[in-house]
Amino acid sequence: MSDIKSTIKQILRANISPEVFIWIEEDRPLNSLFMLLPRKTGKAALTITPAQSMAISQAIPGFSVDDWTVDRLGRAYLLMNLDSSDKDDYFRKIESLFMAAEMGEQVALYSSLPLLDYPELWVKRCAEGIRSNIGIVLEAIMYNNPYPAQNLEQAAWNQLVLKAFFTDKDISKIIGIDDRANKDLAYIISDYAHERWAAGRELNPNMWRLVGRFIDDKLFEDIKRLFDNGKLTDRRAAGLAIAASNYAPAKALLTKYPELERAIENKDLSWQTIAG
Amino acid sequence: MCCTHSFEEVKNEPLSPPVSLDGIKGMKFFDPHVHMTSRTTDDYQAMADAGIVALIEPAFWLGQPRTGLDSFRDYYSSLLGWERFRSSQFGIKHYCTIGLNSREANNEALAEQVMEMLPLFIYKEGVVGIGEIGFDDQTAAEEKYYRAQLELAKESGLPVQIHTPHRDKKGGTRRSMDIALEHGLDPYKVIVDHNNEETVKEVLDRGFWAAFTIYPFTKMGNERMVEIAKQYGSERIMVNSAADWGISDPLAVPKTAALMKIRGISDVDIELITYRNAITAFAQSGQIDEADFGMVSGNIDQSQKFEGNTILRGGQQPRIDKSSIIIS
Repeated sequence: MSDIKSTIKQILRANISPEVFIWIEEDRPLNSLFMLLPRKTGKAALTITPAQSMAISQAIPGFSVDDWTVDRLGRAYLLMNLDSSDKDDYFRKIESLFMAAEMGEQVALYSSLPLLDYPELWVKRCAEGIRSNIGIVLEAIMYNNPYPAQNLEQAAWNQLVLKAFFTDKDISKIIGIDDRANKDLAYIISDYAHERWAAGRELNPNMWRLVGRFIDDKLFEDIKRLFDNGKLTDRRAAGLAIAASNYAPAKALLTKYPELERAIENKDLSWQTIAG
Repeated sequence: MCCTHSFEEVKNEPLSPPVSLDGIKGMKFFDPHVHMTSRTTDDYQAMADAGIVALIEPAFWLGQPRTGLDSFRDYYSSLLGWERFRSSQFGIKHYCTIGLNSREANNEALAEQVMEMLPLFIYKEGVVGIGEIGFDDQTAAEEKYYRAQLELAKESGLPVQIHTPHRDKKGGTRRSMDIALEHGLDPYKVIVDHNNEETVKEVLDRGFWAAFTIYPFTKMGNERMVEIAKQYGSERIMVNSAADWGISDPLAVPKTAALMKIRGISDVDIELITYRNAITAFAQSGQIDEADFGMVSGNIDQSQKFEGNTILRGGQQPRIDKSSIIIS
């Protein structure tokens, strides 16, 4: 953790005046520092060098502060500065920040989860955050944040992913989205697709990336439906899903679409480029 | 003479609808007192359509008294969290004032705990004052916590939003001002709310801000408001809707502006009364930046931007066609 702390400190110092940095280091109650911080730092977007950005992602894979504002980073720094030697006290202090947090504070708190000590302490809090309906709070948990994939149990993880689809989030920014795919989730996604079809609503083609590895006779029916009734992006999604599957009938189906098969093999088509 | 004159005036006005908002198209409004937690998304949509770009939600009660500290905590944090977000989805910048309202000051055991908790909230982003506080029944307990919160305002440098009582309004308003001055507050930092024809003169003469709540039946009507604007001008005067869960109107500010326009009040005065004065008064908190208004058309509050998109991304309420019977 010390590497990441020094990198964050360096970025912070480069983005605020020396006077403000002295203020941040002052010995004052955490609640008050945390609350007042944006008044001192402002809320401008951070300026970060490529080297700093890389240092962050090397220290904590998947983590990024590239899109953060200076107050968010300042608050993260305050959290990293906390003495964590007394575990109960550490938990109480941070929990009390969560309990009285306004929107910007919630964003800072949730996006700092990967920086906190005792990762197991924040599992419930993270699951609670996923229940939020505040868009930017959800994004703080979902985007470029490796904490959920590393720490949430499966049910909470599945809830996060489903909520992301429900709220039109950018799935490609969810760290661990493919690694934590699981059969339960594939079936939940299938049910969700059937609901959308029944309602005559569009599907996000990215949802099928969570299904590919688990295609069986039941899920295969959905894949066939994508080929038969879907639009171009649906067929592409079906093809990409099959590419991740070992289910023989699915493999056989894909051979009927040689152009699609080739595009996937040549990596001309991927989950990132599917909509294009 | 006078009667003929006023008859002519009335005759020249369209009967139905009595006021259209056409005359104020393109104007911006600020409603410095509206309880959005008790309003629907339809109201937010209508407010945005009518030109309201920012509002202040004062902390008040829930229509019935709270019985525990946690209900206060959750309410305050909902003003700073969920409600703020809900508002942003319609492109309206949401501020709030935080305080222990007069009715609930009467539960002293609980009021003590609330007072201890207030410093946790009053320095939060977008908290533009201590409010709404003051007298309801004018009990000793109300006075005690009103005074305690004036001290808090002084300490924090925040403006104060004073609720004046329905009963014994004139006496209650005078007493509220007396006490504020006694505690050394600058009247220029105190907004005295729910004024009427009987209270306005003294409030203005003593250097306070005079807010008028346009609220049907129990408070001011906007025709009376027009007369007040004619008589007292626009200095330190503002209007609000105080819309809540009672029969009230979240469009009271733009509607009053439209009526003022029809009745010949100048655009400059209308702007002061329905927009600028409220900002001037509450911006003394250091928490209002007009550049944050109108997030839809280019919000510059970077903390609410992600990947160059505004907060509205993935959150903006899609418009529904209210005139259609089809709901999809």
